[in-house]
Amino acid sequence: MPIKVKIFGDLKERLPYQASNIGVPLIVNLESKGIERVSSIIDELSFKESEISHIFVNHKYSGFTKKVYEGDIVALFPKNMALLYKWYYPKEEDD
Amino acid sequence: MPKKIIRVNMSNLEAKYEELPEKYAVLGGRGMTSTIVADEVDPMCHPLGPSAKVVFAPGLVTGTKAPSCGRLSVGGKSPLTGGIKEANVGTNFAHALAKLQIAAIIVEGQVKGDDYYLLKVNKDGAQFSKANQWAGKGLYGVYKQILSEFGAKVHVCGVGIAAELGGAMSGIAFSDPEGLPSRYAGRGGLGAVMASRGLKFIVVDDTDAPGVQIANQEVFSAGIKKLVKALADHDVTKPGGALSSYGTAVLVNIINEAGGLPQRNFSAGSDDRSAGVSGETKAEEIQKRGGVRPHACNTGCVIRCSEVWTNPKGKDPVGVLEYESVWALGPNSGIYNLDDVGELNRACNDLGVDTIEAGDTLAVAMEGGLVNFGDGKGALKLLEEMRKKSPLGRIIANGTEFTGKALGVWRIPTVKGQGLPAYDPRAIKGIGVTYATTPMGADHTAGYAIATEIMGVGGQADPRDVKKSDLSRNLQLATAAVDASGYCLFIAFAVLDIPEGLEGVVESINGVYGTSLTVADVAPIGQSIIDVERKFNKAAGFTSLDDRLPEFLRTEPVPPTNEVFGVSDEELDKVWGS
Repeated sequence: MPIKVKIFGDLKERLPYQASNIGVPLIVNLESKGIERVSSIIDELSFKESEISHIFVNHKYSGFTKKVYEGDIVALFPKNMALLYKWYYPKEEDD
Repeated sequence: MPKKIIRVNMSNLEAKYEELPEKYAVLGGRGMTSTIVADEVDPMCHPLGPSAKVVFAPGLVTGTKAPSCGRLSVGGKSPLTGGIKEANVGTNFAHALAKLQIAAIIVEGQVKGDDYYLLKVNKDGAQFSKANQWAGKGLYGVYKQILSEFGAKVHVCGVGIAAELGGAMSGIAFSDPEGLPSRYAGRGGLGAVMASRGLKFIVVDDTDAPGVQIANQEVFSAGIKKLVKALADHDVTKPGGALSSYGTAVLVNIINEAGGLPQRNFSAGSDDRSAGVSGETKAEEIQKRGGVRPHACNTGCVIRCSEVWTNPKGKDPVGVLEYESVWALGPNSGIYNLDDVGELNRACNDLGVDTIEAGDTLAVAMEGGLVNFGDGKGALKLLEEMRKKSPLGRIIANGTEFTGKALGVWRIPTVKGQGLPAYDPRAIKGIGVTYATTPMGADHTAGYAIATEIMGVGGQADPRDVKKSDLSRNLQLATAAVDASGYCLFIAFAVLDIPEGLEGVVESINGVYGTSLTVADVAPIGQSIIDVERKFNKAAGFTSLDDRLPEFLRTEPVPPTNEVFGVSDEELDKVWGS
């Protein structure tokens, strides 16, 4: 089962896929082989970590080191969507 | 010229100017309204009765050249919660009062008989005129007529049909830069407190106003320079950042991914259809239709999160569709169409009601079977019952809890009688602690502001290690201080990450008042405000048992996170040590 990556905002324009309505996320299904953490997904999609504001893995606020597994849902938001009352959102990371 | 208080006695139609008491000299916004309410209002009074009052106060730096400082507080005893209330709004009305050197307007007494009045305030004083011709009418049309009569440059605040009904979901509408009744001190039913005095509108004309006195221009200028730089540099607040690109509704997709965007009366925390009402979708639609985005809700705002939403033809502007409004009238009611949301928001503004309370009420009414979830047109008809002043309209006008009880619904998302905002406290537990413990009733703005590590009041640099009670308390203290300053809460995003920004905030206040405050004084200022508010609520009969979330949030897991609230009563009681 692939990893479902939901890409929001103008990050979508960076990918060679048909753009959907700007408000609707672009869904990219990535084979999990070779992908261990969120940072691997960022590399796979040729994004830079500095371009990402918020990451959610299975609806949990997460960081780049968060481990991911097949069947996971990962959401990526760009810098210009960097709004979150982040004090209420403990960020999940893995060693 | 020293600042004044205008005491408006509706019993004998007198508006007297009073010297600002020394003890109020460095109070503003929420600090001013809550202190006056605590000093002058009997906590056991009925909010619509003869001894209730409603108080208006601009913030400490409002009316100056500081950025994003056009905030006004409105205070009183809430008919929705039964406790003290401060509702906060961004509007040029706030700047105008401050420039006229008016620190507060206190409205007290009650008109004998059924007449409604308008109070006009300008540099020469305050005068009453009858306003009966605008009773029972929608505020969009009324504001157009008032601006036509008094001149396009005046600033208007007023109450609508819901307030005439004594409705506990009624807000106070302030004119936006386009003259629309879209800027609301919405929460807590203060519109009904104002209407029950017999006062329907206040019109402020700041032509030839003396302006705000600055005690130390050099300190003030240095302060605002630091703050402007922080706001211009930060990803959230800078031009092209989250708020100016998409408005507050940028949060729709984000909170949906967090599993915390309540759907269909808090029965789920996420739904892919929410993308249809997201900030990105809305911004694109505004561009297509010819609305305005970004937009400043008041002069001098550099964040510009506001907008002007229109109908599909680019006509009939509504004003801003905020995140909480879009959520309440959208996903929480099972509605995923922006035009339905826009028309519901228009109806709320026109009738004079708080959009959050209206959305919670509609969702409870849907759960109670009055209309189906997702039925935008049906929801609009329910709101329109208020215009008819029908028995059902009177029930709806009294908000979520009242309507839920009338319909036999047990999932009623309220704390202290006030409807929950747009974050499910089961997925986002920290904000649930704030909902439970703020003196205001369920209120998201009561506790998001400057982080504990910057405030130096929590002693923790990492939010993951902060106990939820400590986190919520510190955020509530900081928020109370910001609400007193007159700055928009959104400056917090920048001054969190850029310490010079917070220094600039404090220096700007020192510049205006000649004080010597430091960043370390911010938390004690917030604490003093909340102490006053909690004392009032205690005298009104509140105990720690009122600092709880409703049962269904504690017992029913919410998909997709399948969490319950799960914060113990002991942890909640640690927030204020009660």
